[in-house]
Amino acid sequence: MSTSSSAPDTSAPALEMKAVRKVYRMGDADIIALDHASLTVQHDEIVALVGPSGSGKTTLCSIAGGILGATEGRVVVAGDDITDYDAKQLTKFRQERVGFVFQSVNLVPFLTARENLLVVDELGRRTGAAARARADQLLEELGLADRRNNLPSQLSGGQRQRVAIGRALMNEPRLVLFDEPTSALDTQLGEQVMELIRNEMKSRGTAAIVVTHDERITHFCDRSVHIVDGHLDAA
Amino acid sequence: MFLALKEMTRAKARFGLLIAAIALLVFLILFQQSLQNGLLTSFVGGIRNQSAPVLVYSVDGQRILQGSIITPDLEALVESAPGVGEVGAIHQGTFTVTSADGAFDASLLGYADPALGAPTTIVEGRLAESLDEVVASSADAESGFDIGDVVRVEPGGLELTVVGLADQAQINAGPTLYGTVDTFLDALRAQNPDAGTPLPNVLGVAPADGTTVDEVVASINAQSDELDAFTKDDAADATPGVAQVRQSFQVIFLLYGLVIPCVTGLFFLIVTFQKAGALTLLRAIGAPAGRLVASLLIQAVLIVGLGYLIGTLLYTPVSQLRLGGIPLEFETAAVITWAIVLMALGLLSSLVAARRVLAIDPVQATTGAGVGR
Ligand SMILES: Nc1ncnc2c1ncn2[C@@H]1O[C@H](COP(=O)(O)OP(=O)(O)O)[C@@H](O)[C@H]1O
Ligand SMILES: [Mg+2]
Repeated sequence: MSTSSSAPDTSAPALEMKAVRKVYRMGDADIIALDHASLTVQHDEIVALVGPSGSGKTTLCSIAGGILGATEGRVVVAGDDITDYDAKQLTKFRQERVGFVFQSVNLVPFLTARENLLVVDELGRRTGAAARARADQLLEELGLADRRNNLPSQLSGGQRQRVAIGRALMNEPRLVLFDEPTSALDTQLGEQVMELIRNEMKSRGTAAIVVTHDERITHFCDRSVHIVDGHLDAA
Repeated sequence: MFLALKEMTRAKARFGLLIAAIALLVFLILFQQSLQNGLLTSFVGGIRNQSAPVLVYSVDGQRILQGSIITPDLEALVESAPGVGEVGAIHQGTFTVTSADGAFDASLLGYADPALGAPTTIVEGRLAESLDEVVASSADAESGFDIGDVVRVEPGGLELTVVGLADQAQINAGPTLYGTVDTFLDALRAQNPDAGTPLPNVLGVAPADGTTVDEVVASINAQSDELDAFTKDDAADATPGVAQVRQSFQVIFLLYGLVIPCVTGLFFLIVTFQKAGALTLLRAIGAPAGRLVASLLIQAVLIVGLGYLIGTLLYTPVSQLRLGGIPLEFETAAVITWAIVLMALGLLSSLVAARRVLAIDPVQATTGAGVGR
């Protein structure tokens, strides 16, 4: 088993999920959210994960990002087999290896745009000046240079989403998980954000999974994977 | 540190209000502490701050200077007790004394030996050296009992000159004068020419070389059921009313001691609920739970610390005041003790919120739920 402190293998697939099963226990009933899902995302690939509500998209991202443990199967992220990680190892893994853009809350309300990026550096071993330079560069790329000192409440929905993307990229992740990044935005803004995501990923050679139920934005991704009732099918 | 401080600077009003509330409570605690000590000192300071290490009362006197009378038989018993060194008579009485400011009920103490009953806290001037000289309690200097002032014992009009001031030397919360036994007898006779020669009220005792104060106290008490010997501090504490005053204040302190942790504990619990979303997000992106708890504790320390500092600053000028004749003092020991107690209680109370933080499941960031379930 490799650990998160090993030197990352840059050509290894960003994600390898093998026969992953996730069962939620709700009282007496078992809800099978993922059923023998296998998925490989190459090291520089952007995959769209498309499926209706309740099909298991968020569950898949949570497992791939080390937030949730799988009931069965193996999960390897950028060469690190995280299947048997304990809570502490998973925390460190999330801190160092993956980026998240969540469906709902993405920003700390009492931190400015820039601080929402810098907080990532504060969570682990601090790099200080390097982190500040990186945050400023990301904000610049995301067109937020003049908004860096605004609180989330002073930003528009699109701007907030861009800050969240910046935050997800702060730790130079090998895999970024976007859970419905455009669902709260109108079509035009959604396309802008998707274009930004594609540019940021491609310029860095970073892999991503973009969850959506909107077929219209899948063309920003390299390929689409469909999910229905926890079953994946690479169409 | 980053998160803790950023949050506090972004929510100044909220954190400021809590700091203000703690400052107010700290002010009240310290003020009451001064009040308690001032009150007790005004009643028994003169007993604590006189030179006899041991005071012997008659049991009949019920531990009140003026109520105690030492007969020659009792005095002989004390003098023959093992370990007793020097023995000196102390007289005490209440007189109407007029100063430039008017008439007062003053206590006059007369000692046979300055080493056994004279005040030890002279802050200005000197002890009495002749019949018409006395030392006065410094708390009453401004009421016409300052050095050089002449006061008259009424009726009779015996004139006494104040030649020294002693700190924390009152008894019975009024002007207190210290002179020799002969001065005391003069005053008594001026007031009542038929007074004769009264018996001493208490005896001041010093242990013989090689004997401790506690040994002498035990040895004197073993002599007779009618003798009540105490170290001077115990004598002060045993004075009727002292324990009751302490108890009443202790109840007040206990209440304050409960209110502060309740306020801080509740505050942090509410704040933790309110920012549940942010805390869950931070856990999800890799914040160790311990880091978030540390941030909470840093805030608790800062808030209690700042509140304490402000409360102490408010208290400092008030502690120099005089309240209804009771001089207050800045109680350094109380300031330090309460700082430690309140910091510990503040931290302890924020542990309730810390438990909520530790219970956060990062998976809730993916669904939007938080701590507040
Ligand atoms: N914590 C949970 N407990 C029980 N059931 C859950 C939980 N999270 C998700 N589910 C169920 O698992 C299935 C997949 O959910 P999810 O992954 O959120 O789907 P999607 O993101 O595609 O809408 C749904 O039926 C949902 O109700
Ligand atoms: Mg979902």
